[in-house]
Amino acid sequence: MANGQLALVLNAHLPFVRHPEYPRFLEERWFFEALSETYLPLLRLFRRLEADSIPFKLTLTISPTLASMLGDKLLGDRYLLYLEMQSRLAAAEEQRLSGDPTFQPVLRLYSELYRQDREDFETLYGRDILGAFDYLYKKGRIELITSGASHAFLPMFVDCPEAVSAQIETAIVAHRRLFGKHPTGFWLPQLGWHPGLADALRSYNLLYTIITTRSALLGDPTPHRGSFAPVQCPNGLTVFIRDAEATKAVWSESEGYPADSAYRDFYRDIGFDLPIDYLSPYLEEEHARIFTGFKYWSVTGPTEAKSPYDPERAARRAREHAAHFLAARAASAGLASRWMDRPPLMVCPYDAELFGHWWFEGPLWLEALFRQAEGGPLDIVTLGEYLRQFPENQVSMPEFSSWGDGGYAEVWLDGSNDWIYRHLFKAIERMTELAERFPDESGLRERILNQAAREVILAMCSDWALIMRAGKAHAFARRQVEDAIGNFGKIYDMLCSNTVGTEWLTRLEKRNNIFPDVNYRIFRKKR
Amino acid sequence: MNSEKLESLSLEALCALAEKMGLDLPAGLDRPFVVEEILDALVEDSEDRRSAGDEAVHVDEKKYSGSELDGLDAPKDDVPGLESRYNETTIRALVRDPSWAFAYWDVSDSERAALAGEESAAPLFLRVVDLSSGCEDAACEHFDIPVSADDQQWYINLPHGGMRFRIDLCTRKAGNHSARARTLARSNILSSPRQELHPGPGGIDQSSARLLNLSGISDLRIQTIEPDNPLRITSPGVELQPGDGD
Repeated sequence: MANGQLALVLNAHLPFVRHPEYPRFLEERWFFEALSETYLPLLRLFRRLEADSIPFKLTLTISPTLASMLGDKLLGDRYLLYLEMQSRLAAAEEQRLSGDPTFQPVLRLYSELYRQDREDFETLYGRDILGAFDYLYKKGRIELITSGASHAFLPMFVDCPEAVSAQIETAIVAHRRLFGKHPTGFWLPQLGWHPGLADALRSYNLLYTIITTRSALLGDPTPHRGSFAPVQCPNGLTVFIRDAEATKAVWSESEGYPADSAYRDFYRDIGFDLPIDYLSPYLEEEHARIFTGFKYWSVTGPTEAKSPYDPERAARRAREHAAHFLAARAASAGLASRWMDRPPLMVCPYDAELFGHWWFEGPLWLEALFRQAEGGPLDIVTLGEYLRQFPENQVSMPEFSSWGDGGYAEVWLDGSNDWIYRHLFKAIERMTELAERFPDESGLRERILNQAAREVILAMCSDWALIMRAGKAHAFARRQVEDAIGNFGKIYDMLCSNTVGTEWLTRLEKRNNIFPDVNYRIFRKKR
Repeated sequence: MNSEKLESLSLEALCALAEKMGLDLPAGLDRPFVVEEILDALVEDSEDRRSAGDEAVHVDEKKYSGSELDGLDAPKDDVPGLESRYNETTIRALVRDPSWAFAYWDVSDSERAALAGEESAAPLFLRVVDLSSGCEDAACEHFDIPVSADDQQWYINLPHGGMRFRIDLCTRKAGNHSARARTLARSNILSSPRQELHPGPGGIDQSSARLLNLSGISDLRIQTIEPDNPLRITSPGVELQPGDGD
């Protein structure tokens, strides 16, 4: 039996947060942190692998909202200010800890991280991070796929085909504009699958998507190769299945690799340990404590008495964990292959921001994994490659499920966030009504209708419901939904009363400048 | 939300917050105790969510780590810029998981007036109509859930997974339980997810059974619906373990 195959899939996504109306905006840090700790480190590791001729392969989603932010000049300018502030904080910390050798290695790590980030962002890539990923896409190293335009949790909208189409079509149009190709794959936000999505995805000539093990095993009929091969919906859409063991090895907060005692502790941050007066010059809001990114302690264990972080020890553990991961997958493939008629496939989809931002050593682990896999018993493949190799798969229709707690929609529909849906469905219904009433508009009316469509799409973002449930930044998340639906409502009223506030519209277009190619007609009734 | 932030709130705001969190505090409780109760509840909630599973969302939350926990201090029912209701008679339902659906509804002012006029204080109720068997409307099994005139949304416990159903917003003449129900609005038709395997006509052979086990089926608590299948998976991983008979 041939080797097993391993497909790593990373979903790089952040919700659209861009507030030019404020000189600085706290939640824009989510993007800056991910750039510094995930996206730029990932590009660096890809460069190192290329330089060493290591044949790495990866399927990568860059969500449309993230892509929009990566290409945005204002956010680029603000990112440089963020780097400057982080570098000043690093300098202050060097002074504060100058007599303490314990923390010098980790402090040097941060100083170097922000220096390198600046050099890569400004000089190496000329701020064109999307271009850097596109280069690897065109070279065949990574396979870029798309996702829902604003990362909507699509199972909620299966009864609104207009809304589902708006999410898919807007994403595809953005992908084509940015990368010059039609995407072959689609990342289901939150791995939220519902049988009612199959036709919509296939109708846009998307060839494949990825689902949870639960969705697949509860499919009709049961997939006879388990999760070790994709299934095919009756309409031909191929559905890859997440490998449960590989997921647990990395995702699990308690048992996963990131919980190892040697790794950097995510929670212990000087932003909450040092006096606020000392920190204030380096904070967005002078007296609001935040995670600064300067973390000096290791996970250690279930104790408050943390050990100092040792970067070298952590790097060794990352390499050991990469070896362990490959050995475990190879063992699993070895077992499965006894019952398979083709090499077992293990699909490992993760949020990209796990690597670097939360699991600081994640990029090192990933790099070690690619290096150690070379010549080993597992072939690393992209999902598209696998599909070209095995275009025929068992026909089965997977069941509704997601990767959220409980396996269904509990995260996006509970007492903390269920109020959204009354307003959201009304906005979608009214948007469809507008698209039907004004099917052939041009000029100012087309502009305002397009902005209405943007606002409805933004309001569908699943991150806001998730954040409301998590409790963190709850008020901010609620405000994002209210603003988008409120903006839409204002536009709707304007169109109904045939009055347009052009000044307000222009301001809104400049603020929510996402999806420049959006076409409001995507909300026309599906017949 | 941390203790510093809680300390900065007035006692009234703290009590309102506690109420929103569903805490049942004795009247006249001193301020430090109110703060303590809220903090305890926040810690408990966080631990509950952490222990509820190791799914991706916990890690997903780490993306949004820029700021302190700031939730719960702004009341969500005071939503600026949003209409509180749309004054129409409607009902919509969403499936949350195999056991629960969520429905929200409204009755327009004119409909309410008509109800009040024609059928004095006619009670409202939700009728959950089971369409699984492909039945015609009147012949379908159903169950009713009384709701008050002020209710606008409910979570509804579903009797079984794999159920195709609709939720009707109904009323009937006050004081007459045998009176015919009048449907004010009908929801979209939904299906709750199945929780059993669908092995197909050939059942699950030995190879597939082993591959399903290796795929982690035992963690999913999935059951088969094929009672005659000799290789059915009846409970988590009991019959089929990796390596069985190897």
